[in-house]
Amino acid sequence: MKIENTKAQMRKGVLEYCILSILQHGDAYTSEIISTLKSAEMIVVEGTIYPLLTRLKNSGLLSYRWEESSSGPPRKYYVLSESGQQFLKELDMTWNNLMLAVNQITNDK
Amino acid sequence: MNKTININLGGYFFHIDETAYKKLKRYLDAIAKSLSDDPEGKNEIIADIEARICELLSEKITETRQVVNELDIHNIIKIMGEPEDYSDHDENFQETKSKSNNGKNNFKKLFRDRENRFISGVSSGIAHYLDLDVVWIRIAFILLTVFSGMGLIAYIVFWIVTPEAKTTAEKLQMEGERVTIDNIEKKIREEFSSIKETIEDGANNVKKKVADGFQRNGKNTTSGLQDFLNVIGNMITVVFNVIGKLIGLIIVIFSSIILISIFFGVFSLGSFELLGYGDNLINLPDFVYDSILPYWILTICMFIVIGFPFLILFILGLRIISSNIKQFSKTVSLSLLSVWIVALLTIVFAGIDIGTSDAYNGTKIENYPLNLSSKDTLFLKMINDDELYFQDKLRRSTKRIKVEDNGVKKIYATNVKVSVEKSNTENFTFKIRKVSEGRNKNKATEKAAKIDYRYSIKDSTLKLNAFFLSHLNHRSSDEIVYVTIYVPEGNTVFIDTSTHSFLYRIKNSNNLYHGDVTNHFFEMTEKGLSCTDCIKQLKM
Repeated sequence: MKIENTKAQMRKGVLEYCILSILQHGDAYTSEIISTLKSAEMIVVEGTIYPLLTRLKNSGLLSYRWEESSSGPPRKYYVLSESGQQFLKELDMTWNNLMLAVNQITNDK
Repeated sequence: MNKTININLGGYFFHIDETAYKKLKRYLDAIAKSLSDDPEGKNEIIADIEARICELLSEKITETRQVVNELDIHNIIKIMGEPEDYSDHDENFQETKSKSNNGKNNFKKLFRDRENRFISGVSSGIAHYLDLDVVWIRIAFILLTVFSGMGLIAYIVFWIVTPEAKTTAEKLQMEGERVTIDNIEKKIREEFSSIKETIEDGANNVKKKVADGFQRNGKNTTSGLQDFLNVIGNMITVVFNVIGKLIGLIIVIFSSIILISIFFGVFSLGSFELLGYGDNLINLPDFVYDSILPYWILTICMFIVIGFPFLILFILGLRIISSNIKQFSKTVSLSLLSVWIVALLTIVFAGIDIGTSDAYNGTKIENYPLNLSSKDTLFLKMINDDELYFQDKLRRSTKRIKVEDNGVKKIYATNVKVSVEKSNTENFTFKIRKVSEGRNKNKATEKAAKIDYRYSIKDSTLKLNAFFLSHLNHRSSDEIVYVTIYVPEGNTVFIDTSTHSFLYRIKNSNNLYHGDVTNHFFEMTEKGLSCTDCIKQLKM
């Protein structure tokens, strides 16, 4: 078992949660989401994000709209939908619980 | 210097150099491939990715640097990640996938390897899958076919069921390599020159479109079946090609033999003419011999008229064998055609000339008296001028020979016919009738008059020339000189042996054939000639 795979899997598990969180603070277009994630070192390469966004959108958690851009092509702005907010709330709770649990376990050592 | 390509990426326009374009295209293709488990979202994801790449690229493009290069694409790939990073993120899926990604062998998929195919690439595909040398697989198929027949059926089933490794990613999967951009690049560098790749890219686009159309109707299996039919079609084409090449080879050999022989024929004829050996060595047809055109023109024309079609046949044959031989350009073929037509017209002209030159007969008659006393015997002899043309034995023939008479070239002919008849008068006379042919009556007569025929009378001997001379221009070979001797009744004539070949009408009461009348005395009687010294012989 390779360390990289485990790391990637750990990150990937919370990636959806992160994306939804970013959109909670306001609509964002793909590059914004990516740069936020990148600066937080949540992702290394961008490629990971696109299928994920599409999947979230297809399952109804996100919707999007097109907006003209002054520099470059039109941007795809993602919006958190009703069910998305609901989903996020549950994830918030899960994450908090998880964090507590993990902290408890790791600190005990 | 690099060629640039204009592309439309996410609705934006980019100049991109060729190598960068290829790299980008491979990258996008590989992503599309790794997203294939998710066909619905695929196009959308690709569009998003393209839009993002567009954004990244437009940051790099400035007024001073307008063309996207390979390094840009390399950096983009670094930012965006390898194609495998794009694969679906479903938890369950991910687990199995990452597991399988570790084991090299499990990653393998069974494809048909058409690049190393013998028939359809089934064996080499299986060989890749099992990591065996392809030879063993082939031997196994052959043995199974020979001993049980199952091999053939299994082979066809494999053929129909197994997809062909078309894209580079599929080829890597077939060989068990991980589908990463590095591997794809390595693979491509390994196997293709960049030119071939370009062609294939273009071809793949078309193929994809066609294949998409097919797949909508008949799923994947049809491509296998189609392939099977294609190969059978190809085999038939190959057989026809081989037969065609054989025919081409035969044509080439045949026409080159003819060309070579015509060439040598013309060359040697021309050499004889040039070296002045001339006419008596070669038995030329009248057509050439009598033509008003010089030999060399005629021979060259004939060479062209006969040779050109074979030359064209030769080139056609070569083109059947190898398609590299280019067709003649329009100018060349037109000029060849016109040369051929000119040569043909020349031959036709010469033919018409020959054909009409002896259309009419002309005759010139000359009567001469023979001053012999009434009781004398006329001795009839034929003589030849051996200095002109030596003849061992005097013979009449229709042969015409070029000779030189005091430096003037003339025709020497021996077509002289001699007959003996009864004279209506009391005196010996003889008549010379010269016959020639010409374009019209006047010309024929004129030519007849020009025939040079001589005789001499000494005492009671008439010496007739066994030949006549004619002008070199008298090409007609049908010139004849008739000599008729008129013998008065009661007079005797001795017909010498030398006349043997020239006699043609000797009426005699002994009913002797004119071959038998020579060397005898004949007396002219009321009923014709009568032999006076051959009775004994007859009795014997």
